[in-house]
Amino acid sequence: MSHHLSICGSKHEPLFAIGARFDNPDELIGAVKRLRSEGYSRYECFTPYPVHGLAEAMRLQKSALSFLVLGGGLTAILIALSMELVPSTLIYPLIVDGKPLNLLALPEYVPIVVALTLMISAIVAVTGMILLGGMPRLNNPMFAWDLFAKDASRGFFLALKADDKKFNSSAVTELLHEVGAGDITAIHLEAPDQE
Amino acid sequence: MSATITNAEAVKDPQSAPDLSMIARPPQVLNNRGPLWVTDAVCSIVEGKTPIWWYAAISIAGTFAAIGGACILYMICTGVGVWGSNSPAFWAWDITNFIFWVSMAHAGSFISAVLFLTRQKWSLSISRAAEAMTVFAIVCAGVYPAIHIGRVWFVWFLFPVPNSYGMWPNFSSPLLWDVFAVTSYLTVSSLFWFAGMVPDLAVLRDRATTKVRKFCYGIVSLGWLGNARQWRHYEMMYVLLAGLTSVLVVTVTTIVASDCATSVVPGWHATIFPFYFMVGAVYSGSATVLTLLIPLRSLYPQLKDLITPSQLEKVAKLLLMMGSCVAYVYVFELFNAWYSGNPFERGAFWERFNGTAGWYAITCLSINLTVPQLFWFKRIRTCLPLVFVLAILCNIGMWFERFMIVTTSLLHDFLPSSWGNFHPTIVDILTATGTVGIFFTLFLLFIRFVPIMSMNELKAALPGSQPHGDSGHPTGEGHSR
Repeated sequence: MSHHLSICGSKHEPLFAIGARFDNPDELIGAVKRLRSEGYSRYECFTPYPVHGLAEAMRLQKSALSFLVLGGGLTAILIALSMELVPSTLIYPLIVDGKPLNLLALPEYVPIVVALTLMISAIVAVTGMILLGGMPRLNNPMFAWDLFAKDASRGFFLALKADDKKFNSSAVTELLHEVGAGDITAIHLEAPDQE
Repeated sequence: MSATITNAEAVKDPQSAPDLSMIARPPQVLNNRGPLWVTDAVCSIVEGKTPIWWYAAISIAGTFAAIGGACILYMICTGVGVWGSNSPAFWAWDITNFIFWVSMAHAGSFISAVLFLTRQKWSLSISRAAEAMTVFAIVCAGVYPAIHIGRVWFVWFLFPVPNSYGMWPNFSSPLLWDVFAVTSYLTVSSLFWFAGMVPDLAVLRDRATTKVRKFCYGIVSLGWLGNARQWRHYEMMYVLLAGLTSVLVVTVTTIVASDCATSVVPGWHATIFPFYFMVGAVYSGSATVLTLLIPLRSLYPQLKDLITPSQLEKVAKLLLMMGSCVAYVYVFELFNAWYSGNPFERGAFWERFNGTAGWYAITCLSINLTVPQLFWFKRIRTCLPLVFVLAILCNIGMWFERFMIVTTSLLHDFLPSSWGNFHPTIVDILTATGTVGIFFTLFLLFIRFVPIMSMNELKAALPGSQPHGDSGHPTGEGHSR
């Protein structure tokens, strides 16, 4: 039995993935669990907002971002302290109001340390989110799929990539139908000279 | 897992279950709107035709901003003598306005970061606009530190680099702390604002109908797809940034307050200053949030289901709480001046009200001690036009407070021979109105070109938007769209 499979992108270009659309997050999570149990691993889920439990169903690791930010913050503390202490105690000792230059003077260096730590941590957090999330990117093969490109905010999408070891176009289509997916589409890459 | 008792379950069995309607949370979005409606409502502001009032408003705001810019140029070309700042008030409108703006910013951070971390879901639909207010207020504040030094070409003295004598800035000086605090505040809050907007900008990119829009929103949305991995990192980033921003809510005003508090000037030298500045900050910022959102809600009727009266009432309560803290500090300051037994401290506070510049302090206290207290009455708190007017009054009161702290303290210090008065010049006044113009210009651009609400957060918080094994959300069905 064969189900209808729409095609988008350029037919002569290689197949990128088979995409499907779900109406609600429950169906999407159900589909993910099913795909996992069938042994697929190269799939991605696209949702208009963070869906609770989806990452767990996909067995995604905890985001490494928190460690990056911790590292960034600790580095920032070191940078800030040396930026303040090296000039004011070694390069050009600046004695104001007879205040000491030893460790007793440390509290007055704290505000800049706090400010710089917060700033650098925030920069690391945002840059890390962008890079770990595979951004910035000008284009993506998924945009060849018109329904996704225009309506990603309306549905819950799943794409099973063609480079999956178990990938078989008709079996995947069959499986996606079984889990209640709609708009099942073969996403080919777009021809390079296309405008 | 889901042990929460929903309102609908309580209604099902009135005999055994207590009536929970009193303590049930008001809905995040009124009229049972669905996720698609939320997307359309928020995007329609950006995608629709530009309303006439917008052109009118931005022309007025832009004109003020341009006049302010011309005044700054005039000041740079001529010298700080064009301002009224003179002995003994070397800090006058410049620092007053700097503190006024940088403080106002704090309520936005408070609403978007502290209320996010404490899971106050009601603030979801106003947090983006509040953050925008934060960023634009810091931009307005940032106008002053560079120009108030007089010779702006020496602004690099503020940077941590040695000058031609090989001498570095004094890192122990609160004025240098200020530079770092404000830079860090601007950076962190802009990043928080922008990063939170990326998924929503991607929605605008997907919906764009013209090539220019598609290109512009495509660039700023960084290629966001909304896949599970991106959301995982995004959510982590959001919590981290909220945490970092919450710290800033406390540290930035503390450092700004140190500018005054670490000196010995009577009226400045007080340990309560960090707290004083912070509560005043959230107080004036809440007032600004109300001032901006109440008209916005009337101008875009589709927002009435998203910015609900109940949310605005909560902001009014925040204003009441912070206003009461401010009132406490006023009383405490006066008590402390008397209790110190220091004739100069006492004299400074006596002059603050009875001196030539006394009307500033009297205006400040008569507004800030009375207006927020009106919000004890639910009838006043929920009458939006009245709240709008009172909120503007609160901000006027706060401007007078900043002036009272910064300038009138300087007029009457330890040396009777240098006691004096301060008179603003027209350049002072037009520069100040110029920053108001900059603020409103930026806010109008914000309304027109980016989603003013976090659509993804709103949609994620709608009933029925999250998966559930045990169907604990009876209201999940029946969205109007």
